[in-house]
Amino acid sequence: MRTKARNGIVILLLALPAALRAQDMQLPPDVERLSAKAKETVEVKMDGPMLHWASKFLSAEDSDERKAAKLITNLKGIYVRSFEFENEGAYTSAEVEELRAQFRSPVWSRVVGVRSQHEGDNVDVFFKIEDDQMAGIVIISAEKKELTVVNIVGPIDVDQLADLGGEFGIPKLNAKTLPKSPIKSVAKADKGDQK
Amino acid sequence: MTDKNMNLEDELKSALRRQQAPPHFTERVLAQIAEQNSSTQAVRTRWWSIFTQPLVRWAAVTATAASLVVGGIYYRTVQRERTQGEAAKQQLMLALRIARNKLQLAKARVNEINATPSTNRSRSEEE
Amino acid sequence: MAERVFRDHPPHTGTRFADAFADLVRRHQSMVFSIALHYLADRPAAEELAQDVFLQLHANLPNLKSEEHVTFWLRKVTAHRCIDYKRRRTLPQVSLEEVAEPSAAPARAEDPFLARKLRQVIASLPERPRLVMILRYQEDMRPEEIAEALSLPVGTVKSHLQRTLALLREKVSRSIGEVTI
Repeated sequence: MRTKARNGIVILLLALPAALRAQDMQLPPDVERLSAKAKETVEVKMDGPMLHWASKFLSAEDSDERKAAKLITNLKGIYVRSFEFENEGAYTSAEVEELRAQFRSPVWSRVVGVRSQHEGDNVDVFFKIEDDQMAGIVIISAEKKELTVVNIVGPIDVDQLADLGGEFGIPKLNAKTLPKSPIKSVAKADKGDQK
Repeated sequence: MTDKNMNLEDELKSALRRQQAPPHFTERVLAQIAEQNSSTQAVRTRWWSIFTQPLVRWAAVTATAASLVVGGIYYRTVQRERTQGEAAKQQLMLALRIARNKLQLAKARVNEINATPSTNRSRSEEE
Repeated sequence: MAERVFRDHPPHTGTRFADAFADLVRRHQSMVFSIALHYLADRPAAEELAQDVFLQLHANLPNLKSEEHVTFWLRKVTAHRCIDYKRRRTLPQVSLEEVAEPSAAPARAEDPFLARKLRQVIASLPERPRLVMILRYQEDMRPEEIAEALSLPVGTVKSHLQRTLALLREKVSRSIGEVTI
């Protein structure tokens, strides 16, 4: 079962072994198996102590690294898994849905759910709120040839993170620069938009 | 070992567990070191005069060589840690970069929706 | 010597060495401070002693080859400095009730009265048995390791442990009556 429009968003796998207690998410086996099909994968697993240790090597003289140091203060983990595929259709919407399903619980709120039939970009952003405080964020980005999952555990300033565009060598995305396409409304993930 | 000893030993471990050093302990140590370094600089210069004596010079050279070897071992350990730390830093920056990129993609898509006239999209369900 | 090596090589002159040393202090400060605190039962004195130990560490870094060596060296030097410190000074009698409790929650529920009593008794022991007990129960060192750190025969260390445990059992049970130890 392959969708027409979606093939390759790099999925950030949060699927670290269960022993990594800080992360919020497990990668379903079907998604885990995508690594065999991917032409390139990215995997980052950094729990609290590792983040703290890595932050010592961030330079105060570099503005990017200075901002990164500020961003990761008090974080308990950053987990990323990303798959890039040669061709479209390498994964199914059902597999992505299995990822999303983990966040249908009271502590998680989906703050963004975007489906683009034409471009094949689907992005979901979930916030975890505990005691009225931000406790984590999950981003699931499904593109034509890329599937990406990001899990940041702990209080992160999302505005600061999103506004870092340009400093890491990647230009900020701007709606005006993106190709015009009919875009479906923000639909509930559980209704799906399988093709 | 009897049960009585086991209980007492557990209580001892609990009573004697490590306690946190006072706040800013590390900073105070570093400050003392910095103060020591600046005050002994002048004294170090005067001591150079004893190395004009041949025997003392040879002894110093030997001791220096030995210390450099040992110090070099420790230095390699620190260098290895630094290399690993730099690699961890790169991983961290990569992760943040990817997260930022996807967030911006989401924002861009949302902006695009908001910019699209309502007749071109169905808004029967809103989050 | 080590300072010259570090100065000549890293791109940030002196900074990386200072950072590495600061990390070393942070990793071991609790251990050193606690040995001193349990021995001296005097918080300001323990802090002063612990600082002196790290100053000495800074001067002796070229002689240390590994993290394990550093840990052993710190325990040994702290122990010996505790003995010297006590001999040189007449410390005011400080009740262990005045020693601040650790801010972290205990790993398991402890009897605070019993814990305080045990610390009092430990602090009243002669210098060698006191250090033996601290190194054994705070640092979980084996008798052979304690013997090496304190330059004592292993048999003497074991003897101190056995006698002190017996003494503690007797003192504590007498003072708190029914508590089964």
